[in-house]
Amino acid sequence: MRRVAVTGLGTVSPLGNEPEQLFAALKAGRSGIVRLPETVHPRLTMRIVAAAQFDGAAHFQTAQLRVLDRVSQFAVYASRQAVADAGLVLDAHEKERSGVFLGTGMGGAQSTDDAYASLYEQGSDRVKPLTVLMAMPNAAASWVGIEHGFSGPNLTFSTACSSSAVAIGEAWRRIAGGETDVMLAGGSEAPLNLGTLKAWDAMKTLATEDADDPAASCKPFALDRSGLVLGEGAAMLVLEEWERAARREARVHGEIVGYGLSTDPAHITRPSVPGQARAMHLALESAGLGAGDIDYINAHGTATLANDAVETAAIKEVFGSSARGTPVSSTKSMHGHLLGAAGALELMACLLALQHATLPPTCNLRVPDPECDLDYVAEGARSQPGLRTVMSNSFAFGGTNAVLICRRP
Amino acid sequence: MSTLERLTQILKANFDVDTASLTPESRLADLAIDSLGVIEIMFAVEDEFKIVVPRTQGDNAPALATVGDLVAFVDRLVSEQAARPEEPARP
Repeated sequence: MRRVAVTGLGTVSPLGNEPEQLFAALKAGRSGIVRLPETVHPRLTMRIVAAAQFDGAAHFQTAQLRVLDRVSQFAVYASRQAVADAGLVLDAHEKERSGVFLGTGMGGAQSTDDAYASLYEQGSDRVKPLTVLMAMPNAAASWVGIEHGFSGPNLTFSTACSSSAVAIGEAWRRIAGGETDVMLAGGSEAPLNLGTLKAWDAMKTLATEDADDPAASCKPFALDRSGLVLGEGAAMLVLEEWERAARREARVHGEIVGYGLSTDPAHITRPSVPGQARAMHLALESAGLGAGDIDYINAHGTATLANDAVETAAIKEVFGSSARGTPVSSTKSMHGHLLGAAGALELMACLLALQHATLPPTCNLRVPDPECDLDYVAEGARSQPGLRTVMSNSFAFGGTNAVLICRRP
Repeated sequence: MSTLERLTQILKANFDVDTASLTPESRLADLAIDSLGVIEIMFAVEDEFKIVVPRTQGDNAPALATVGDLVAFVDRLVSEQAARPEEPARP
């Protein structure tokens, strides 16, 4: 097995469109969650989202923009940052050994929504001719591949909220196994259109608005948690074979050392303690580590009633007596739930936490839930000088549990 | 307005095209309009010229390399369909 370095980071997020901006906000406990103005989608009753401040026209030529759903714009822009950050220059042969693995839950949902609006709402028989190309789930990954000319494997993973954790884990395996040398891996999601928001609202999984402070509506692990807040954005990482990165003296953000994958086959939405615990066990096993080696867990922590209690129980099952001494936080309290991009954004938060030797907090946890009794870093960001090995959990509708472990270089 | 002028309006409305320098010899590729770009404007072309653009693919697809090709293509459809207004109905 070859070692795998992370040499490049890029993001579009509700907390800023570059990794250091993202981490500065997380460290400050700043929320990217907002109440949409009444002028945006007037028919929405639930208006709390985590939106990215991103204008595609600032980053793409008009001709290209017309073919790019928002989800693809995010992915391409984040991948440009990651490649520049890595200082990656590849010749034609190296590009053949470079690939793109991208996770997305809903693909080009905005384009689907636009097309259906013209068809059903406006009564037009003419749907925008490029709708298929914009809405197809693999469009974002394809555009990232085109942008950088990577001609190795290009795959899209869609396992709902664990999509991009799976994409990164699978990319790690390709490099570790020797099939590829460089991978752009991560995820992208752009679900803040009327149809998608309404569909999520109908599931009764979205947070109710905090009456005093809409930005504090997402309350992971709290007794008064009421659900998740949908967010949009992307996170893309350059994964690179360790010796290659070392030879070219690339800056290494961290090393990916473990990946565990399991499935809850009993129910389409209900999380399971054994399933989540098994994914954590498998990740530790693949890293050759014990639970005691983990210094911090970035939780899935959606702030839904079901997830947070089950995840807490699963962590306790895996970590046993060390569970209470292991800090756990949910950064979704600030950046919302980026669905298919969540796992990648949160792994990026972990890598930045390692670099800054600082744990991002769980915000809005003021009313403790007796069922959630771990150290959730609720008091604010915490300096942790010895921070070395961290775990990132991603679970999902559909039951695909993915856990990644990374380490300071 | 001539066909070229009317097409120029459509290109201007849909793409970042410097219409002042547009001539029949202008290559669509140089204007960053590829085959997908041509597909994109066909509904606007149909509305503007009251024609139906037939569905053709592969060898039967019109070779549209220049703005002049596009003008000739539209003019041909206009004259064909004006002569036979009862067809082709949209399938």
